[in-house]
Amino acid sequence: MAELTTTKLNAESHLILDQPLLRMPYELSRRNQKTAQRYIENSTKDVLSNLTAAVKASTKSASPDATLASLDSIITKMQGLKRKMENLHEEEMRIHKSNRARLEHLQDLYEVQSLVDVKYDEWSRVRLSRLLVDYLLREGYSESAAHLAASQEIQDLVDVDAFVACHKIERSLREEKSTTLALNWCKENAKELKKHGNHLEFDLRLQQYIELVRQGHEKGIDGDIDMYGDGVDGISLGSSRAGGGEQKLMEARIHAKRYLSGSEDFKLLGRAAGLLAYKPWDQVEPYASLYSPTRWTSLATLFLKTHHTLYSLPPRPLLHIALSAGLSALKTPSCHSAYAASSGNLALSSTTSVCPICSTELNDLARNVPYALHTKSIVEADPVVLPNGRVYGKERLKGFNEGLGTEKGWVRDPVEGLGGERWRESLVRKVFIM
Amino acid sequence: MTPQPPTSSSSTSGMHELLEQLETLEKTANLRSSIDDVQNAIDLLTTARANLAAEPQSAPLTLAKLQDPLKRNLEQAQKDLKPIYSGLNKYGKALDKKFKDKPLPSASNDALSSHPQLINRAIAMHLLRGGEFAVASTFVQEASRNPPHPEPTPSTPNPALEDSWEKELAEDALNSEKLQEQFEEMYHILDELRKKKNLAPAIAWARQRSDVLEARGSNLEFELCRLQFACYYVGHRPPSDDVMEDSDANSDSTAPGPMEAWAYARREFTTFQRRYSREVRQLMGAMAYWSNITESPYSRYFYNDYAWEDVATSFTREFCSLLGLSADSPLYIAATAGAIALPHLLKLQSIMEKTRTEWTTQNELPVEIPLPPSYHFHSIFVCPVSKEQSTDKNPPVMMPCGHVIATESLQRLSKGGRFKCPYCPGESHPREAVKVFL
Repeated sequence: MAELTTTKLNAESHLILDQPLLRMPYELSRRNQKTAQRYIENSTKDVLSNLTAAVKASTKSASPDATLASLDSIITKMQGLKRKMENLHEEEMRIHKSNRARLEHLQDLYEVQSLVDVKYDEWSRVRLSRLLVDYLLREGYSESAAHLAASQEIQDLVDVDAFVACHKIERSLREEKSTTLALNWCKENAKELKKHGNHLEFDLRLQQYIELVRQGHEKGIDGDIDMYGDGVDGISLGSSRAGGGEQKLMEARIHAKRYLSGSEDFKLLGRAAGLLAYKPWDQVEPYASLYSPTRWTSLATLFLKTHHTLYSLPPRPLLHIALSAGLSALKTPSCHSAYAASSGNLALSSTTSVCPICSTELNDLARNVPYALHTKSIVEADPVVLPNGRVYGKERLKGFNEGLGTEKGWVRDPVEGLGGERWRESLVRKVFIM
Repeated sequence: MTPQPPTSSSSTSGMHELLEQLETLEKTANLRSSIDDVQNAIDLLTTARANLAAEPQSAPLTLAKLQDPLKRNLEQAQKDLKPIYSGLNKYGKALDKKFKDKPLPSASNDALSSHPQLINRAIAMHLLRGGEFAVASTFVQEASRNPPHPEPTPSTPNPALEDSWEKELAEDALNSEKLQEQFEEMYHILDELRKKKNLAPAIAWARQRSDVLEARGSNLEFELCRLQFACYYVGHRPPSDDVMEDSDANSDSTAPGPMEAWAYARREFTTFQRRYSREVRQLMGAMAYWSNITESPYSRYFYNDYAWEDVATSFTREFCSLLGLSADSPLYIAATAGAIALPHLLKLQSIMEKTRTEWTTQNELPVEIPLPPSYHFHSIFVCPVSKEQSTDKNPPVMMPCGHVIATESLQRLSKGGRFKCPYCPGESHPREAVKVFL
């Protein structure tokens, strides 16, 4: 019964890998619309209050020039708004265009009925290119990704720009140890993050606090300095005030009060407070791990995770998911066997197709995955066995020996070819495999 | 046979519903109207400004009169965003519905994250064999600049241990310009074959490897030469074949094609006499039909549209096997098989979650994946007694009667003494059973 259904293509259930393909443009459209809304709201507030002010000023007999100037500034603002909206509109239409291409690409699959149809083959090759671009983007190989997308003409089906933006932020955390870009991103996505109950922003603020404390300790406490002096301007991570350590520690306290006190993780807050007493070089846990530079790596990872959740992207590359399943579905005990198989073998390619798991590309990769379950033997028609125990389909054995030019009445083993033994045809016997 | 339900009737099938929603967004529910509102507001403002410039004394009144319309316009701009909002909402709901029963596969059986070098190698080779040389070189450069970070997985908890040899392997493949040169040669030959109908480079390639190809029982060289013979016969000459041009021009023979073919056969076919004497005789027999070859029994050798594609395919296959590679990209076959397998694996996963069972056989998938026959590369032996697949440790053995069972089943049945075959009356002793290889 299984054989009957093996070539039938059920497009509906075949789309498991393709949800992210449609999620991304949808999420991008929503963000685009939200941005537009924010622009209009802000400009409305701004422009109307400007106008009110201008009305007031004009009744108090402001100079005509001043009135004109204030009106001009309002016009400039509105033109600025229009320009921004035009850009968003362009972006909106670009997203829709790419979304349409994606929907049509998926619709194509519904037109194919069989897995052995050439059309399915073509479709599946496009899918592989998509999966490869997705993998390259996730691994940060954006040049290769863009190059492949262009060469296969599938730019509308992949999200190069979104990933490039995402990796820029990730790298700023991992390599530059800077929170600026990531915090901007949090601000842009504040509403969604709150809905997901995400703590990325808190962790970023905590890191800022840790860095302030670190700087404070590193500068050291040089004499009596007025702890309540001026210059406490919130977060100024980059500023290198030569004001000694207390200044930084003070900044850190204010920063903590402003950004961290809302948390209910009192244990963590307690530890954070403890940092003020322990120096980065004290090697005392749990403070040492808070000071650890590996926190930046985890922040980068947390950012990626948050980003992918927000855009409904799976945590692992889709290529991994497809390949893991595919390697297992194809793998047989023969693929890593010490004995040469009678079919699918490299030496035999003139008579059978080479098994992809046995091919150099995937053989090592498939070593750790389980092999496919089979409940019935799959053998060639009319199996016969050679005196050395090797089993072949009768027709294929005959065809091979004809190609090899084996003398009449004799047979050779395809795996061994011309270099191997030859036997009388009468020694080949029928074998029964149930 | 149950009747097939009509495919287009339900809007849930396919992407129709989503496409409809998208059309609304493209055509009407977009930022255009809000932009028009903003433009209206700008027009209002510029008109007011012109009035103001002309009559400065009217300023308080003009400005005051401007307030309400401007506010209305801006509010309209905000209101005009609503259709986008609701359009996207509808679209989002349709999207949720479409994928409701298709959860994203979890990476629970991820065996690959710990081997990124191997994946990179597979990708580089996939690109090369696909003829994407420029992309491959971009990728090789980028990947060697930023080598990937292996992550631990259940099967490889400490990838760093294996990292070094994998890295060597990968660098071997990545930096091997040799592989690229080889595939470039392959594409050059294929290009000549398919586009220019020029067999010369392919024949030269096959001739150089005559011994290897013959030992493998490959017919490639003969197939290529036979096609060349057919080309001469019907008067199609390879583009570079200038030598014959002159003799052709002043030849008054009624059948220059067959004569050239004859000459070609005498020059080239001697090496094929041993293996292909019958085929060569057949081709020579075709000489008799030079005047009406299309109606002769030989027409299939001469007017075969598929001949070119066939030799191109066999050439690709032989070329790749000599490199130790399968003819079609393994990455392609594996990814496709994966997509076919995923629905089955997901179903299994949800059943296991419901019944709180665990997958006990780590070496074997717990569910059978129905793949099209072209995805079966090796023969599979499943012991009819134990229903287990044979492995190196438990290989199939054949009893004297010709029936095959697994070694372990044989041991269990015989308990060391004579026993009856479970499928026929034949009786035998375990030491009479011979190991077979499928």
